[in-house]
Amino acid sequence: MRVKLKSGPDQRKFIERIEELSGENVFACYQCGRCSAGCPMASEMDLLPNQIIRMVQMGLDEEVLRSKTLYLCASCFTCESRCPKGIDMARVMEAVRHVLDPKGQDAFGPCELTPELARELPQQVLVSVFRKFAK
Amino acid sequence: MKLHYYPGCTLKDKTTGLDISTREAMKRLDVELVEPDGWTCCGAEYPLTGEKIAGLAAPIRVLRQVRDEGGDIVVTTCSFCYSVLKRSNKALRDDPVKRKRINAFLRDDIQIDPLTKERTTGFADYNGEVQVLHLLEYLRDRVGFPRVRERIKRDLGMLPVAAYYGCRLLRPKEEMGFDEPDSPHLFEEFLEAVGCAAVDYPFKQECCGSYLAVSMPDAATEASYRVLRSAKMNGARAITVTCPLCFYNLDHRQETIKTAYLDFAGLPVLFFTQLLAWALGVDKALLGLGDHKVPADALFVERPAPEVRT
Ligand code: SF4
Ligand code: SF4
Repeated sequence: MRVKLKSGPDQRKFIERIEELSGENVFACYQCGRCSAGCPMASEMDLLPNQIIRMVQMGLDEEVLRSKTLYLCASCFTCESRCPKGIDMARVMEAVRHVLDPKGQDAFGPCELTPELARELPQQVLVSVFRKFAK
Repeated sequence: MKLHYYPGCTLKDKTTGLDISTREAMKRLDVELVEPDGWTCCGAEYPLTGEKIAGLAAPIRVLRQVRDEGGDIVVTTCSFCYSVLKRSNKALRDDPVKRKRINAFLRDDIQIDPLTKERTTGFADYNGEVQVLHLLEYLRDRVGFPRVRERIKRDLGMLPVAAYYGCRLLRPKEEMGFDEPDSPHLFEEFLEAVGCAAVDYPFKQECCGSYLAVSMPDAATEASYRVLRSAKMNGARAITVTCPLCFYNLDHRQETIKTAYLDFAGLPVLFFTQLLAWALGVDKALLGLGDHKVPADALFVERPAPEVRT
């Protein structure tokens, strides 16, 4: 994929913020791709987990923040258990969603539930999905 | 013997079968389960970013209550509750900054007794004193599988059952310490102890789609299908879960899965405690099979256990 590299204070700030929130050293990633190889949601993603972290390294904030991948991560921690560098991608994804927090709308909020679904769903999944994707 | 038990919110409403069968089974093993007073939802998700520390308050309140009631262990069955309680507990044990911040916040909690209106405040700091165990761990380490075998009243006839771990029991490995994330065996040992034949299949620790079932249903349908198909292809006649959300995805959404993937013909989904309770002699009416969309009744055939078991 072709990307235009940018570098400036905004990019640096973005990287620092992701590292601060996630507690992960994103530059430890050496792009082996094991996270993406094991990810159960990879087939649906527009950017694979290893591409997300690479783009964070390059400070490509807009590209990362636009990605559908953020809302396809199920926090299953398969990537975490396989990463040879000990990086928890689920934390990186959460940090990126957190950066988006003050800006956007709920990625998935209560309004999107039909009454039938709301009646049928286990409580746990409601708490879970709103914690992940609503403000 | 009394043991603290944290059921979590889903077990009190949508998946009462897991709660009832757990209680009935544990009674047969001479364990009386007691719930910590005034427990609340654990929050379902452990906060993954440093700044969302408030997410630790609810689980730590539960654990503090267990300690204040004199408990040193709390067991839970739901994988999400287990993950949140265990990770929060570990955070308070290992991270002095989180410990300080959470305790500073929770110290001034006010508890009002609903009957006497008496107010309690000024709680002692919680430093991770309680041990969080999944019921499967408790059965293996505290009760012991040999003792479970001794108590078996019904023969499950080596029913081929797939153990489904899913995500939260096993990972993150360092924090959960439940079993080997890529080659777990605790659940299989359990199935063999209750008289089933554990089916080996490669998708036992793959994700079922989790909460994406609500926000990205098609992605979850595919993930759940992969798990079910793999179990069935390897000869399972049922798949067992510990988690109400796995149950919802694999059982309640099975019609959707079948419509999307015509090669899949259906597979009953059971809570592990339903097999345990049945094997220990609990009445079928107390297994909570009413919540199931995929009929599972026929799997429970009345067959007394042979006199001598090894
Ligand atoms: S597994 Fe770890 S090191 Fe490898 S690409 Fe993914 S994040 Fe980078
Ligand atoms: S935690 Fe997210 S990115 Fe990692 S394997 Fe699971 S779904 Fe994929």
